[in-house]
Amino acid sequence: MRLPMPFSSFDSAALARSLAQLGGSDEDWVDGFFERTEEIELPPDGEGPGFSIRREEGFAVRLVRDRRAFLASRDGIDGRSFSEALRQVARALPAASVPEPDLPLGPWPGAPGPPEAPEVVDFAGLLERAIRAHHTAFPLRLTVRRHRRWLQVATPRLVPAPESESYYSLDAEIPGGRWGALLPQLGRPEAEATAGHLVELFRSRTALPFSPRPGAILLGPAAVAVLLHEAVAHALEADLLALSGKPDAAIGVALGSPILSVLDDPGAAPASVRRATDDEGLPVCRRWLLRDGVVEQPLADAAWSRSASTLVPGAGRRAGRHDLPMPRSHHLELLPGTTSENDLFDGAEGGLWLPQVRRGALDPRTGELELLFPFARRIYKGEPAETLGPCAIHGRLADLLGKAIAVGDIRRAEGAGWCAKGGQKLPVWATAPALLLEGVEVTR
Amino acid sequence: MSERVRSGVNPVAVEATLKALLGRGLPEVEILAKRGRSRRFALDGERTASSYAEERGWAVRAGDRRGSLFACGTGDPNPDGPWPPAYPPALRLPTPVPPPPWKEPSDFEVPLIGEREGLALLEGIARELTAELPRGRVLSATLEDGSSEGQITSSKGLAATFRGRLAALRLEVIGPGNPRPARPAVIELAEREARRFNPKALARRLADRLAVGAAPGLAESAERSGDLLLAPAVAARLLAGLAPLFFGPRTDGEISAILGNAIRIGSEALTLLDDGRYPGGAFESPIDGEGTPTREVTIVERGNFLGPVLSPVQARGANPTGAAGSRAQISGIARRASFRDLPTPGPTHLYLRPDPKVAVGSLLGSVKIGTYLIDALGPARVDFSTGSFALPVCGLAVENGKATAPIGHAWLSGEISDLLRGIVGVGRDLAFLPLDGMVGSPTLLVRGLVLRGR
Repeated sequence: MRLPMPFSSFDSAALARSLAQLGGSDEDWVDGFFERTEEIELPPDGEGPGFSIRREEGFAVRLVRDRRAFLASRDGIDGRSFSEALRQVARALPAASVPEPDLPLGPWPGAPGPPEAPEVVDFAGLLERAIRAHHTAFPLRLTVRRHRRWLQVATPRLVPAPESESYYSLDAEIPGGRWGALLPQLGRPEAEATAGHLVELFRSRTALPFSPRPGAILLGPAAVAVLLHEAVAHALEADLLALSGKPDAAIGVALGSPILSVLDDPGAAPASVRRATDDEGLPVCRRWLLRDGVVEQPLADAAWSRSASTLVPGAGRRAGRHDLPMPRSHHLELLPGTTSENDLFDGAEGGLWLPQVRRGALDPRTGELELLFPFARRIYKGEPAETLGPCAIHGRLADLLGKAIAVGDIRRAEGAGWCAKGGQKLPVWATAPALLLEGVEVTR
Repeated sequence: MSERVRSGVNPVAVEATLKALLGRGLPEVEILAKRGRSRRFALDGERTASSYAEERGWAVRAGDRRGSLFACGTGDPNPDGPWPPAYPPALRLPTPVPPPPWKEPSDFEVPLIGEREGLALLEGIARELTAELPRGRVLSATLEDGSSEGQITSSKGLAATFRGRLAALRLEVIGPGNPRPARPAVIELAEREARRFNPKALARRLADRLAVGAAPGLAESAERSGDLLLAPAVAARLLAGLAPLFFGPRTDGEISAILGNAIRIGSEALTLLDDGRYPGGAFESPIDGEGTPTREVTIVERGNFLGPVLSPVQARGANPTGAAGSRAQISGIARRASFRDLPTPGPTHLYLRPDPKVAVGSLLGSVKIGTYLIDALGPARVDFSTGSFALPVCGLAVENGKATAPIGHAWLSGEISDLLRGIVGVGRDLAFLPLDGMVGSPTLLVRGLVLRGR
């Protein structure tokens, strides 16, 4: 369901004309970014305050000239503040005449009544029942949040249609560890899936300590989502590629096994977070990051795409108005293979089933990747068997991606998690099947 | 100029909102209104960015004996909300206490750093680094200089204004990287205003850190004993890891289980304080995020634990048993990073008292065989269930007061009680790091701990 747009009454022609005053030449990039955000939060039982709501609106004006970026941002949206910000970015004197565009905002959803989020309130009960269905119970500290975001980008030449996103996040703390998730919807199916993850994590607290043993590893879709985000998306972001050379030099490099084809396609994300344009107002595309294991198109925003003609913009994202956009992924996809889940487990006999990742990190300069797992399960007779304690994979990402030998044939949409690159926290989505790797060293 | 005008807050909107919430049957109401502005500069390879942001927001906590709510937003508070339903738990706001007299520092009035000046500062650091360490370079540098002011009003009669000034600097640098692959070094610092950052001193510190960090680490099975000299950056990281011991309700039993004794927890050289009014401190303020007066609290005096620090709300909710609980010291320690955040009790300026008579050189000179740990390579891992800690560090081997060889990587690990009891000397070079609050320490001479390769 798309959210009603608050920016539909903007005079977009006047806005574009105002912004056009900033650009000194065709080489300048100028945009205005308007946002409205809402976060509703229900904290763990008994922890105050009972119910939280955070509502913000504001804008930013940006000018990119050569290799310099100038940004002026404000909380609140009105024509006067907008013209002030334009003057600041243009370094014009306060007396300089800058028109004040009319920027009327629509009401908040549900206004004037109190904000409603019954799905947030009901979720704890659904989850409790779903956990009980596993014939177990444990103390649970659960925080449930609903996030909504409305965006309007304007440039001197183009004012694309506004965008919106709506999704949920969970933070759970149980004996055995912490667990978090991003979800496009919140209801009974999500409660049941969450209960499954939590029960597995809870039972892992009494697991045998992990002891390294040779064998294949089978990553579950949720773990593959994190792997894609860390090892493929971050590795192919133009700004991070630039730390070790020219970003476009990565094109054509074999980064992984030929069975890996990975895309970033914001247009194919779950409906409530689907995007047609990025946070710079540029159309998104079905971007082949890896085709048959070879780098085809790194992630680039408008500024980086100007540094090399082979870099395609459309992947500029920003956490909010006070931040500058940077190349980021939105919705990653690993194309499915032809191996059934049963065959994947058979192929990993004696090895490890790794369904969840606690944390992942990539050092973009060295290409070293670290994935930490809260637990592992030994694969015995084609099924997950005994549970083992926390373990980790450390190594160079190209080595790791080169060891993929089979991709599952069923994909699941997962939230890959929050990404905090450059201090900008953004949700990342993924659709991935299970992935079988051979010859990977898993350590304690 | 009246306090209300100085705070930049619309008093009519605040009063109307307070009245509206009381009218909804919520007797406990607190309204925070805040304004801020900041300049941010970033240097990233050959790219530069310059931003100017103005923030304007409000936050409301309200409730009764049954439930509570939190709402915040940009602009001015609005009597019409949005007000979500009140859910348990109840809310009881602190009773206002007038703060003792406090003179606002004159540098609160200093204008924010300008664009040319800010970028020149970052470029100056990059230039000085190359001069100190040829082929050393800045990968990214970010400088933010901001100021804010606001007002906290409550249904209990609180009407306090506040102001703040803070500059933050983050540098990520890399050395030549021969013969081993180069690993970047990161430092994060905070001062009251950006002009206090000294490019030459920073470049020297970064060059030392890169030179030492590039050296081989201790072998995995190796151990180094002897005296340990902990530079402020190392000691502050350890102190930040231990901070949860000293803030919030704690019982004698808990303290004793972790530190071996509920009272005598450290050496004579250990005196630990928290002071929200620390003169010149980045967070210097007469009140905290709930309007409670801040003050200097001595947490540990000459090795004796005087009691944990609690906010008034924690003190009311806590039911501590044993002497540590009854010794609890109440102070304004509820911090609010922005109007979006709830007040969270924790360190304001937590620091280990320096000895003004002791130069770092004399501490170094007293080391016959040992190690001078110049920096931490990551946060401290502290396990209160086992009373142990571990910190990744780099430093220099020392013999007869002189550095003999660099150590690129090692782990300082052991029992927390051994660390606190092993402090035999304290320097005068107190320095703060922006960790969980501002956490500071001078150089420490510690005996009885071992440095390990893994």
